[in-house]
Amino acid sequence: MITNGIATVAGLEFRLRLRTGRWRWLLASWLIVLTGIAALIRLSVRPEIVGEEVVDYTGSFMFGGLMLVVLGLALLIAPALAAQSVNGDRERGTLAPLQITGLTSWDLTIGKLLASWGTGAVFLLVTAPLALWCLAEGGLGIGRIFAVYAVMTLLIGVICAVSLGLSAAVARTTTSSVLAYLAVFTLTAGTGVLFALLLAVTSETVQQQSNGEVFSYSEQRPDRIWWVLAPNPFIILADAAPETPTTTFQLPDGTVIEQRQDADLLGALSQAARELRQPPEVFLPGNDVPEPTPEPAPVWPYGLGFQLVLAAGALLLTERRLRTPAGALPTGQRVA
Amino acid sequence: MTSLTGRGGNSGYGEPVVAESVAYDAPHAGVSARGLFRSFGPVGAVQGMDLEAYPGQVTALVGPNGAGKTTLLLILATLLAPDAGWVRVAGFDPSTAPGEVRARMGWAPDMLGFYDALTVAEYLDVMAAAHRIPAARRQQTIPAALAAARLVEQAPARVHTLSRGQKQRLSLARSLIHGPSVLLLDEPAAGLDPRSRIELHDLLRQLAVEGRTVLVSSHALDDLEEFADQVVFVDRGRTVASHRVDQLPAHAGPRLYRVRTLDAAALAQALDTRGVTATPAGPSAVDVQVFGGEANAARLLAELVEAGVPVTGFGPVGGSLEAAYLQLTDDPAVRR
Ligand SMILES: Nc1ncnc2c1ncn2[C@@H]1O[C@H](COP(=O)(O)OP(=O)(O)OP(=O)(O)O)[C@@H](O)[C@H]1O
Ligand SMILES: [Mg+2]
Repeated sequence: MITNGIATVAGLEFRLRLRTGRWRWLLASWLIVLTGIAALIRLSVRPEIVGEEVVDYTGSFMFGGLMLVVLGLALLIAPALAAQSVNGDRERGTLAPLQITGLTSWDLTIGKLLASWGTGAVFLLVTAPLALWCLAEGGLGIGRIFAVYAVMTLLIGVICAVSLGLSAAVARTTTSSVLAYLAVFTLTAGTGVLFALLLAVTSETVQQQSNGEVFSYSEQRPDRIWWVLAPNPFIILADAAPETPTTTFQLPDGTVIEQRQDADLLGALSQAARELRQPPEVFLPGNDVPEPTPEPAPVWPYGLGFQLVLAAGALLLTERRLRTPAGALPTGQRVA
Repeated sequence: MTSLTGRGGNSGYGEPVVAESVAYDAPHAGVSARGLFRSFGPVGAVQGMDLEAYPGQVTALVGPNGAGKTTLLLILATLLAPDAGWVRVAGFDPSTAPGEVRARMGWAPDMLGFYDALTVAEYLDVMAAAHRIPAARRQQTIPAALAAARLVEQAPARVHTLSRGQKQRLSLARSLIHGPSVLLLDEPAAGLDPRSRIELHDLLRQLAVEGRTVLVSSHALDDLEEFADQVVFVDRGRTVASHRVDQLPAHAGPRLYRVRTLDAAALAQALDTRGVTATPAGPSAVDVQVFGGEANAARLLAELVEAGVPVTGFGPVGGSLEAAYLQLTDDPAVRR
């Protein structure tokens, strides 16, 4: 049997995590909390609260709310899984002995990533029964569940990779942990705050002539800065989910209207994000109806692309820092 | 041509072990380092070290704290890249062929870091896997390494339950796991009880007899005289001298002798009349500084006996290695 370096490292790290943490308790409480939240969301699905039409999509509504909560919590857990991976090993003196074996720096990098990412995936996997519950409630396609889980897994992997990179770049474990949480905060709250500020800064004054009178008003241009929000994990998750089913109505006059069911939180968030890309409505002279604009394009490919580039950069940095014989060292860092 | 010791004018300690022609012309499978430099920012940790450690010999690396011993061993162990210099370990250059060196070299760092959650046997198994030793062969190499380090009884114990001395032995077992031909041991005797120290010396001798190159850094000078073949003195990043242990010269500089007596007052008076300064070393002993070598010491003893001082003991303080060490590391010619 040929021993695989990545498998050796990942297996070792996974075994250590399994031995040291109180995983059973942690996973149990994680599932209990999420079950409670799912139950509360389920209870809130009453016509007088959320509206008549949502009741048909109870499963979809529950799933959307639940997944946003899961993502929020996962973003809190993921940095802890990897942010001390390299410098912690260095501090304990366990890294150098591995570096002088047949393992390459990529073995160590990818092995450590897989161990932390895999642990994060276990947390996600534990929530599968809740997704099945949502599925049973109806109005939710299985494809949507798979897509959301796949994107969430990727997002956790990105946070793990970034945290790993920080643990390799910074000598002190506390510093890298703080930086990892700052990175998550920047991606979530930071993008939102930056977007709001830029929205104010980039708003422009529009002069319009109407009935011979000229008046001016300030107009916001989110279509120019929508990309600031794109890397936000919540928006990526919401926007990457397959579209919710549409319902068709027949109006009394016989016209058929197709309406998108965006009653669940993921759908609403996705809709909002895409609408940001829409340029302001254009009124041609003498026309009271705005020119038709194309359906807004999705935002998530940009966000996810950005995140994947970020993760790739973090992994390259990690590998560089694990490469031996080491040249220049960051100040205050000893190889062993 | 500069001498191998880096200090051609250092007379009084005999000739360097190895004639230059041999050292520079005959490549060997041990360790060779010539003109080695490595600094960390402003700190010049290694500033021109030369070293030859031969197969079949135990070579000791001796020098004060901060002399650069650990840094040198890190360079030899393929963990640090030298700024300048020529290095061969087991016939390969650690900078350009680290993989070849790692397959033939075992390193025991000064820091004892292990994965605490694993048992001793599991830990060695992981390290052997990291060395890409197939599982079937690990069944033989691990018990052999455990036996060599006298850790057979501790095999099923968790690493964190081991005593410091046992961890030191585990570190040794780890360095032996892949049957290396060159061993680099950074203070392997630190924390060992007297019996374990003797066992370690026996093991190192045995490893050398098997044809391996053993390079040990140590502060236990008395011990070295018993098991090392060659001693390399380093100070302030430089090789100061390099000697065969059995050829350490009787030395001519000032040396401390301890005089024991039954009558402290008589001894003090006898020394006083001869203008010899004495420092108390216990209730019935004093240390005297003797200049001019062993002949003068013999003369002083004869005079004391003649003067009727009841002398019960008279001998140099510390071994010849210690004397050489003190002289070399406190030589104003070296201390620039
Ligand atoms: N990574 C590093 N960054 C900065 N300075 C370093 C680093 N590693 C070593 N040094 C410095 O280099 C010098 C040599 O250190 P080294 O550890 O090699 O000494 P040593 O001979 O092993 O000492 P000791 O006997 O105490 O173990 C010291 O002054 C040390 O402070
Ligand atoms: Mg040291």
